[in-house]
Amino acid sequence: MTLEEILAARPSPGQPRAYNFPSFERTVLPSGLQVVAVHVPGRPLVSANLIFRVGAADEPADRAGVTVLAARAMTEGTARYPGLELIEAAERLGSTLHADASWDAFAASVEVAASRLRAALELLDELVERPTFPAEEVSRLRDERLNDLLQMHAEPRRRVEQAFSQTIYTADSPYSRLAGGNESTVERLTRDELTAIHRAVLAPDRAAIVIGGDLTGLDVPRIAEEVLGSLALGASHAPAAPAAPAAGRAPTADSAVDRTTVRLYHRPGAVQSEVRIGHVGLSRRVPDFHAVQVMAAILGGLFNSRLQLNLREDKGYTYGVGAGFDMRRGAGPFGVRTAVQTASTVPAISEALNELHRMRDTLVTDAELAVARDYMVGVFPLRFETPGAVVGAIGGLFVNELPDDELARYRGLVEAVTAQDVQKAARDHIHPDRLAIVLVGDADVVGKDLEAAGFGDVEIVREELPGEVGEPGGNGLGE
Amino acid sequence: MTAPTVSFSDERLSNGLRLIVAEDHLAPVVGVCIWYAVGSKNEVPGKTGFAHLFEHVMFQGSRHVAKTEHMGLVQAAGGTLNGTTWLDRTNYFETMPSHQLELALWLEADRMATLLDALNQENLDNQRDVVKNEKRSSYDNRPYGQWFHKLQEHLFPPEHPYHHPTIGSMEDLDAASLEDVAAFFRTYYAPNNAVLAIAGDVEPAQARAWVERYFGEIAPNPKIPPLGDMSVPPTLGGESREVIEDRVPLPRHYFGFRAPCFGDPRLDALEVAAQILAGGKGSRLYRRLVREERIAQDVAFFALGFVGGASIAAGQATVRPGVDPDVVERAFEEELERMGREPVTDDELARARALIETYELEALQRVDERADRLAMLATLLDDPDLINRQLGRYLAVTAADIQAVAAEVFRPDNRVVLTYMPETGPATHGEHEEPAA
Repeated sequence: MTLEEILAARPSPGQPRAYNFPSFERTVLPSGLQVVAVHVPGRPLVSANLIFRVGAADEPADRAGVTVLAARAMTEGTARYPGLELIEAAERLGSTLHADASWDAFAASVEVAASRLRAALELLDELVERPTFPAEEVSRLRDERLNDLLQMHAEPRRRVEQAFSQTIYTADSPYSRLAGGNESTVERLTRDELTAIHRAVLAPDRAAIVIGGDLTGLDVPRIAEEVLGSLALGASHAPAAPAAPAAGRAPTADSAVDRTTVRLYHRPGAVQSEVRIGHVGLSRRVPDFHAVQVMAAILGGLFNSRLQLNLREDKGYTYGVGAGFDMRRGAGPFGVRTAVQTASTVPAISEALNELHRMRDTLVTDAELAVARDYMVGVFPLRFETPGAVVGAIGGLFVNELPDDELARYRGLVEAVTAQDVQKAARDHIHPDRLAIVLVGDADVVGKDLEAAGFGDVEIVREELPGEVGEPGGNGLGE
Repeated sequence: MTAPTVSFSDERLSNGLRLIVAEDHLAPVVGVCIWYAVGSKNEVPGKTGFAHLFEHVMFQGSRHVAKTEHMGLVQAAGGTLNGTTWLDRTNYFETMPSHQLELALWLEADRMATLLDALNQENLDNQRDVVKNEKRSSYDNRPYGQWFHKLQEHLFPPEHPYHHPTIGSMEDLDAASLEDVAAFFRTYYAPNNAVLAIAGDVEPAQARAWVERYFGEIAPNPKIPPLGDMSVPPTLGGESREVIEDRVPLPRHYFGFRAPCFGDPRLDALEVAAQILAGGKGSRLYRRLVREERIAQDVAFFALGFVGGASIAAGQATVRPGVDPDVVERAFEEELERMGREPVTDDELARARALIETYELEALQRVDERADRLAMLATLLDDPDLINRQLGRYLAVTAADIQAVAAEVFRPDNRVVLTYMPETGPATHGEHEEPAA
């Protein structure tokens, strides 16, 4: 055969090897702490993730940012390991301790060789249970957060995200702010408030530890009980903390947008416009989750999504465009996200809106549906190659209170999604007539065209930028 | 804990294509990675950004694959993919469910054999626009965005192939013609200029047969032009400084040094030094500048390995509001110079080794990383077996090795200091910004 003949014949796939999401076992300790062990053969590094199902969405508005700051301050020293001794002890095991909070969860994690699992869990327990929150370090971390917010204003892609959330959610929704809090609340956070939120978070009956890797020879439930068995039992007898969050119910996520509006944050001379288009979206527990995910993949998730083919491969307006639902315990945002060259701002928005309408108005083709479904089903084993990814996925089930067989059922449910399901998901969950278009870009160049385009009322925000005040330190923040 | 050995075969097809296969059946996935020994260092003046623009063209179709179909076929097969361009090389990779390996091999072969059949002005113009938008979003419209390009300018003389940025300039991108693209392809995208690595759930005999079938008849290019001498003196020969006004709220210093080439054991010692200097909260720079003296918002230090003359060791520190940037610079430099004056402690070295061991094991868990490293080590060092010796080399680094390399590299006369300051005048952002040096 000639090379031409060889290449003219497309290969067909072989026989797929069976793949199942790793099965896992759950033990509930007397304290209420759930212990989930997942054996991933041949993986010498073990991932352990201790999760509390309470997060930034549960904190009071006037202390926004306290949960994230408390999580970050936990690694600043404990009763037994003051200062950096905790970090150093973990490093001697070849591991790094992480603690952080998201909207929905407060988590501490470690990755370590299986032979050192117990020693690492002892440090994790120390970190979670006995942080001292030294006042000096708390104030430093608070200042670092304030400085980071300052930096955010200068970064178009971060500024536009914050502005988008603030635009689409009503002010009483936690999602209208940043999970780490805004300037007005962060600057008032104190050590006492961190201590209080920490105590309030530490309830073993809404906690799970997920441990994954090659667990051969390890009795994980026994190790967990010996190391973490008394986790937080002291805390539940402590007086009710003033900041005690009301965990368990979905946060308020009301829309502040009842018709399409445009908000442009002026950046003189910007060579691109950062653009976000969308509205309040969905909770992870939405009943038609799989149809929504297939729909979002076709619209803006795949490399060859409709938005990519249009705005990038056809028009060349952008390096990349995506769209999707950020699903949380409450209704997270739905958004189209892109950065386009300044001159193409209005046509790029028009094309994106056309794609939102098209998703609702017509059925996707069989070919589009097949690619999206086949991708989501086929890529499933790739997503879970490492214990860290497996542990993360199981943690997500716990946080969202989804059934244990959710991942085992995933591929079958995706395969069953029809073109009609996709259209219904688009019609139910995408609302092109009442969304926000938020931009960070050059108003002097695009402002008039935006008004003329008639997308909706245009508001131009001319904010003073920290970088333009001249003297560093002239902003009143920090020391 | 001992690192698992990566067993692999290493051979050349008669047309010069180097094939490396590493079999491992833990997960039903396979990584395919092809490295072409061409990067932005092969570009000539007036044609910067070309290697990277070409990488985009590689996704625009070939004789049997339509525009954007490469992505569509891989994703429909449940795979992931991308390509990247850097100073020394360009790579393309697919991670696939293992029963789809043949598709990935066919796709790579079809574009290596027949890319020019699909090349047209419309596709080139479209990807030129996409790349210009990549430049805007990754560099021009990003605070501190030009720091690495500035370091390249300062660390390498104007005639050196590492002097210019991989993304290129807007003028050169505008000037790229179809003939340029075709000539670039004919010159560099030949089987004898490529390494193909396959790692994961693969039957080696079957993979070898497929590679022979799809790639075996592709003609080599016997006349790949060699690069000129890229050697530079090991040190810069004098400190080089620049102050850049940008739309940033906080001043930030970037530091750059010439460092030993990729593959030189001294670079291993420098990487361990970087871990001790700035690898996490237990590191020296973090401890002193961020935690104790509270003069910096964040710190970083790392080494980027290159094969042509020198690598780049680079660091950064963001200045806290109200702090004199000079104070931050002095503290940063003192910590670097201290490494050359006195040995690191046993505990620091032990912690760095333990962490590096975990990072290496973590990285080598994935088939895509194993394929990538095998192709990289074969392309750049002709030594894919280094994948199994690298961890041992890191663990063998002594305090004396660190002190020696620090004394060589962290010298004032080998140092570039870039200082970003909040701008005081009107905006000067332009798309056609000229290099300052």
